[in-house]
Formats: sequence, C-alpha cells, structure tokens
Amino acid sequence: MYHPIVIDHFDNPRNVGTFNKNDPNVGTGVVGAPACGDLMKLQVKFDGSGKIVDARFKTFDSAIAASSLATEWVKGKSMDEVLTIKNLQIAKHLFLPPVLLHCSMLAEDAIKAAVKDYQKKQAEATGETFKA
Amino acid sequence: MNRARKLVASISTLSTRRRTYSPSSSTFRTISIINSQTHHSSRRESFQPSSSAKPLCLRFSGREFSSGSSDTTSSSACWNCGSSSEKDAFLFCDSCRSIQPIDDSVDYFQIFDLEKKYELDAGSLEGKYKDWQKKLHPDLVHNKSQKERDYAADQSAKVTEAYRTLTKRLSRAMYIMKLNGKNVNEEETITDPTLLMEIMELRETISEANDSKELDQIRSQVQEKLKQWSDSFVEAFESQRFDEAVKCIQRMTYYERACEEIVKKL
Repeated sequence: MYHPIVIDHFDNPRNVGTFNKNDPNVGTGVVGAPACGDLMKLQVKFDGSGKIVDARFKTFDSAIAASSLATEWVKGKSMDEVLTIKNLQIAKHLFLPPVLLHCSMLAEDAIKAAVKDYQKKQAEATGETFKA
Repeated sequence: MNRARKLVASISTLSTRRRTYSPSSSTFRTISIINSQTHHSSRRESFQPSSSAKPLCLRFSGREFSSGSSDTTSSSACWNCGSSSEKDAFLFCDSCRSIQPIDDSVDYFQIFDLEKKYELDAGSLEGKYKDWQKKLHPDLVHNKSQKERDYAADQSAKVTEAYRTLTKRLSRAMYIMKLNGKNVNEEETITDPTLLMEIMELRETISEANDSKELDQIRSQVQEKLKQWSDSFVEAFESQRFDEAVKCIQRMTYYERACEEIVKKL
C-alpha cells in the first residue's frame, strides 16, 4: 500500500518540465539507475546570489514522486543547503516502500548533479577551471 | 584461494567416494569433516541424521569450487541407491532412475548442455528446453514418491528459470558475468551524460509517438541498437574488458526498458 503523500506526488507531480539548459543560471543533472532503467533529469534555476528560485524535473518510470518532491524542496534554498538533502529524508517524507527506495537515491544524486553542472558553468564563465 | 578450494574439493571427493556405501554413522562423520573445511554448504537437509536406513545424500560436488565444468567427476551420491555417478547426471540417478534434488552447482549452461559462452543457438536452446519439460512433466512422475515429485517440481522450476535467463540477451549477459564472478552492480547511479541524454531523448520520442507505425519504427531502431551493443558486449567480455562489458549491459538495460515501453503503448 502506498502512502497518500506519494500517491499525490505521483498523480499531481509538481514542477514537471524543462528549462533551457543553455541558460547560464540553470544547472542540469541527469542520472540513471541501471537496475530498473530509471532515468531522471532535474534542473535548477539560480538567481544571482546563489539561491535556487525555481526547479523542473522530467523522469521516466518510478522516480516521479521522488523527483517531484525534490523540486519542491530545492526551491528557495541555497546551493550549500540543497547539497545536504539526503535520500533518506526524501524516502521518509514520502513513506517510500522498499521497492522505490532507489528513487530517493536517484533524486539526491540528481540534485547534486544539477548543482555541479551549474558550478561548472559558473567556473567556465569566469574562466576558472572547475574542480570536481 | 582458488587452489586451496580445489584441494579441499578433491579431498572431499576422495573421502566421499570411499565412504559412499558405509553405514550412516561414518557417513555423518565424513560430512562433519567436510563441513568444517568448506564454508558453503547449500544442502542443509543432507546433514540431518535420517531415521531411515537410506544413506545420507552427500551433496558436495567438486564442481562447486572449480571454475570450469571440464571437471566432470561428480561426487554427489544418489539419495536412493547411494551410487555416485561419473557424469553430470544431475536430474536422474543413472543406476536407479530416481529423481535427484536440485544441485546448486549446476549452472544454466550445463542444464542445456551448452558451452559456457554468450553466443548460443536459440533454436537449439528451445528444443532442449522442450525436451526437459517433457522429462519433468507432472504426469510422468505421478507414480513416483512425494519426495521425488517435489524434486521434479523444483527441477522444473530451475529449468524454466534457466531457459528464461538464457533466451534473452540481456539476462544472458548478466548471468555469464555473474558466473565469472563479475556482478553487475545494479545499485550504482549512472551519470554518463551522453548515454543518459540519448536515452532521455529516446524515451521522450516514445512517449510523444502516437501511431503504431512510428512506434514500430522506433522499436526496430532500438532492436538494432540492442544487437549492436550485444555484439560489443561479446567482444568486451571475451577480451576480459569487464568494465566495458558492464557498460554494454547498462546500455542494453535501457534499450530493453525502452522496448517494454513501446510494447506497452502498442
């Protein structure tokens, strides 16, 4: 039995969509889970001061709820704050059943990938070399 | 490490052979000796002293520890008549024709008498599978004891599982990697952007496609890719480039998933 909260995110996912990935304020993270063929794209839009003002996601298969929640959580947070979001928090909030736990891992990884992408862009813009 | 295991295996083979016909008590002793030397004993039921007169079934097969199946000397003795068979007669005992329980050391390729390699002839596999199902058909075992009927049911399930694993390219690839001790790590997140972008676009195309002709077209493209990567897998695997082989498997997983989506839509 799935908890109503995860069903809600499944039926009414928030922030589905895409940003222009060439926008310098946008960081794009794409991650995949090979076991089930899951795929998640998460994008964050930063304002000039290092805060995330908007987010979008696109996912295939079971990771919809986790991605939807992730996009809600990143909004209004700074880069450092979102990097502390852990998969277990996502899983707990959604009452994810064991079979969907990997989705929360994917969501955490997607957030990190999106931020990293943004950092890379920023570094390139200022002429620095980005160190992972 | 492997050499030590082979040594243990050959010791246990020898002692098993010698004691196959002896009364239960000494057989039991043999087992406890073997038990202390080896870590993996899959057949726990063999070690319970049975109240019946039948000798305990000694399930240690030398094959469990050696990597190649060229070593065909099986040391498992039949639970019914105690005779131990020279060849891989894992289903029926050669002497008394009683059905044997599952031997976990027998791999799927051995079940179908196939070489342990990735390439196989699908027609021949199917034929062999049908033969097995005939042998294990419930009607043919109904006059056997309950124990044997249970064994037959287990064997049948294993044969079906083996067939399913070997027919599909992807599962076959993963299985053969597993046999070689290379487990494809399924938990790891992939971040390869090129691969993921490609798959993302593929899945988007599939979800946007609405007529069956378009979907069929996409499907044949994906099948093409599957075949291509399957060939790359063979090459990588045979050259022992296992990391590359794993990447091939990952791609194949995504293409398979895409195919499933297409089928769902059709």
